[in-house]
Amino acid sequence: MTSLVDLFTSLFRSKPRLKPAELQTAFRSHYKEFRSLLTANNNALELMAEMEQVLGAGRSFGMAFIRGNCTALTVNIYKMIRHLSKLSDGRYGALDQSFRDITRQLELVIASPPVTTEGAVILSMAEVDAGMVDQVGEKMANLGEVRNRVGLRTPDGFVITAAAGRHFTQANDLEVEINRRLKGLDFDNMEELYTVSAGIQALIVNAPLPKDLEEAILAHHQQVVTDKDSELLVALRSSALGEDSSNVSFAGQYRTQLNVSREFVGQAYKEIMAGKYKSQVIVYRQQRGYRHQDVHMCVGCLHMVDAVVSGVLYSRAPDDPRSRFVMIQAAPGLASHVVDGSGATEQFMVSRTPPYALLDFQSGVGQADGGVDSLPTLTALQTAELAEVGVRLEEHFGTPQDVEWSIDKAGLLYILQSRPLGRPAAEELSEPKGHGIREDDLPSPLLVGGVCASRGVACGKVFNVRSSLDLLRFPKGAVLVVETPYPDWASLLDRASAVISETGQMAAHLATVAREFGIPAIFGMNQALTTLGNYRLITVDATAGKVYDGRVESLLALALPKPNLMVGSPVYKILVAAMEYITPLTLTDPASPFFKPDSCQTLHDLTRYCHEKAVVEMFKFGERYGFDDKAAKQLVVDAPSQWWVIDLDDGFSSDFDPESRYVDLGHIVSVPMLAIWQGMTAFPWAGPPPVSLRGFGSIIFQSTRNPGLDPGVRSTMAAKNYFLISKNFCNLSVRLGYHFALVEANLGEYLTENYVNFQFKGGAADENRRLLRIRLISDILNEFGFRVEQKADSMTARIEKKPGSFLLERLKILGYLIIHTRQIDMVMGDEGMIAQYRQKITADLHILLDNAEMEG
Amino acid sequence: MATEFNILLIDDEVDFLETTCKRLIRRGYDVKTALTCAEGLTIIESGWPDIVVLDVMLPDRDGMDFLREIKAKWSTLPVVLLTGHASMQAGLQGLDCGASDYCLKPIDLETLVEKLAIAYRESRQQGA
Repeated sequence: MTSLVDLFTSLFRSKPRLKPAELQTAFRSHYKEFRSLLTANNNALELMAEMEQVLGAGRSFGMAFIRGNCTALTVNIYKMIRHLSKLSDGRYGALDQSFRDITRQLELVIASPPVTTEGAVILSMAEVDAGMVDQVGEKMANLGEVRNRVGLRTPDGFVITAAAGRHFTQANDLEVEINRRLKGLDFDNMEELYTVSAGIQALIVNAPLPKDLEEAILAHHQQVVTDKDSELLVALRSSALGEDSSNVSFAGQYRTQLNVSREFVGQAYKEIMAGKYKSQVIVYRQQRGYRHQDVHMCVGCLHMVDAVVSGVLYSRAPDDPRSRFVMIQAAPGLASHVVDGSGATEQFMVSRTPPYALLDFQSGVGQADGGVDSLPTLTALQTAELAEVGVRLEEHFGTPQDVEWSIDKAGLLYILQSRPLGRPAAEELSEPKGHGIREDDLPSPLLVGGVCASRGVACGKVFNVRSSLDLLRFPKGAVLVVETPYPDWASLLDRASAVISETGQMAAHLATVAREFGIPAIFGMNQALTTLGNYRLITVDATAGKVYDGRVESLLALALPKPNLMVGSPVYKILVAAMEYITPLTLTDPASPFFKPDSCQTLHDLTRYCHEKAVVEMFKFGERYGFDDKAAKQLVVDAPSQWWVIDLDDGFSSDFDPESRYVDLGHIVSVPMLAIWQGMTAFPWAGPPPVSLRGFGSIIFQSTRNPGLDPGVRSTMAAKNYFLISKNFCNLSVRLGYHFALVEANLGEYLTENYVNFQFKGGAADENRRLLRIRLISDILNEFGFRVEQKADSMTARIEKKPGSFLLERLKILGYLIIHTRQIDMVMGDEGMIAQYRQKITADLHILLDNAEMEG
Repeated sequence: MATEFNILLIDDEVDFLETTCKRLIRRGYDVKTALTCAEGLTIIESGWPDIVVLDVMLPDRDGMDFLREIKAKWSTLPVVLLTGHASMQAGLQGLDCGASDYCLKPIDLETLVEKLAIAYRESRQQGA
């Protein structure tokens, strides 16, 4: 700010003068550039805030968001540079180079190349292990590891690799067309999503397989069936890169084709490839921050196990990784009945240590009618074998596992899949089971029962989903109520507040996805559809397995924050890397010798530099074109401080005498200035606070270290208070007591142009007290809707794109705070005083705003 | 809200063109549309539009190239670029070629109207 102060002084030097009319015209033209620069600055700051907010909020975003915001941001900053150049008759040319350097770096980050895939198009399962994830996808790499390193039995077969997938898409030139269709896709428009998804899938399924790839697949198929019955059928299982890593399950979202005969292997392969673009997978990728070009689909082609009984085992309970038992879910036939949520299962709890004793058994889990008691499908030997396998896999992979398995007619156990068990959020781990609210304090529930598929509490209106058509109509925030928890409903989980299903259990894929998204879910809840009807407002307590009518606030207060699903994803990492060139502010002190164009390291630095220099240029206008020394008028008011006003354009009324050295409030028509002034003068200043000896000592000490704080010493900080105004614009620089404040506001014709910016710095007390004052001011401004940033003992607060009436009220608040927070840093060591000031300030501000409303 | 200027929309996406045109007309603006640069040029030559909204990718010609021609012949006619393909390079190139603004689809009508009004006002100020 020092440079500005120097300029104030230079205003009053003698200069060659322009005629008033010429001066007016020249000035207006500068002022218009200035105003356009402010609008671009406003847009740029808002875009940066949005990008920062999105990183922290856990909202899902894709590359389109990053590319779009970076483009809009650079366009606005480039505009600022051009406006500044016009304002200054071409000075600051060096900004161009800094701008080009930063944008070039930013482009490199955004255009980071997709994961590439190299190597053989087909690999036998005997060759595969966990180190080959990039070639065969996580599911098959883990299965190869289970087979070749852990030494467990898995179905024979081979993997059609990522390189094969790339060969297929390149041979048919699919990438460009798919990109074209996905660009600009509105993820909230379910109908558009379905149309685009169906179109892309048809494109893939109808594309021919390259001859060499088809031959290689069939040749390997031949090898697998050689030792077996010639009628052997195979299962084709998706194995995407990125799938099944911890916390990103893509559970059940891709396709699996079972019982495929030789003639249909090629077609089944293409259908699984197309599954990468199923609508729920497109949405899921967007939610989890994966670029579709980074996800490669590999396909495992494995012989079908003639399963007598199949299921899922968890090496520990999915909702409690500290549990000391293995949980097994089993059902007759294929494992798919267990994981697609469509069938009832048996549940076995087995000890994790030899001899792996059966601790508990339940039949009919997830069945609507509760099931009938029957003999277990697994023997004690089998549950022991499964438990041992679970513990071995957990030890080998180093983390609890979620394992799919089948036992064939000969009684042989096959492992079909092993993946890390999705972990509940850390908060959940530390939370004791149950919420501790007494039953008597809660209303009586509408429904009780089922299994907790995902813990938590949520509230919303019931919405029944029976068909794909219902998916399109599903309202945001509703409770998804279904008969069967099919994996296809997963695309609704970013819109749903909770899930209730009449059937299914915690092994269902939909349960895995619900846990991942932190959405409460109860499965196997009898009569849910008929009891709850449709559109009724309910509260779901999944942890306790209860559903209540209406909102139950005491339960909702316990709701856990949703996990930030984007953290660590490829798209998230790209945004984090891009932000390094966007938001950090390294140019903070305009008085520093490093405050120059080639010191700008980020886009934020550029906006800061352009804005500062634009204000300086508006003053320099006077220096260059001969502002006369009467330009700054002293405000005639009954106040101890001196206030000076400079009219940029139309801030004084037309009957004001330009020759006068003084201006009274009656001649000021600047709307934002009058609002600030009203806030400043609404309440008399109570004077300096009663200072304790320690507080006073702190000021004396600071004064000796920083002569700028002593009003008796002429320093750059000890300047007059200036309003720089037009009818709709005001820039106020204030030096009151020991702090410096700047308010800038523009009330334009359009919302885009509207903003209030406030900066506050300094104080006389020691750092701790100054920080406490800043925090007090920040809290108050936050409460009134400002976006506040605090750095050391300075803060900035902004509001933009709000209606003029709203901004005028905020200006009154700022006016009030500038006056009434004077010197209170001195008493900030005293908790009681802080509370007292907070209370008084808040009360005054409410009176101020209420009065304004009444006047309005 | 000022509705004193005529808007020409040039875009090859028929749905976008029709919807935006209808909504702008409902706001009181006079609007004409063109699916190609050639059609657009005929309307500009008639002197009718006060502002042009131009897509960057058009079937008959590169939008950027067309922008250069417009600005060479009608330097004070404001042109706002509107595209579905975000590109930092294209954005900066657009401003260098004389575009008043570079906006991205999807854009809500309120924002579009404001951007057009500001671009129009700025062009008038420069012309004045």
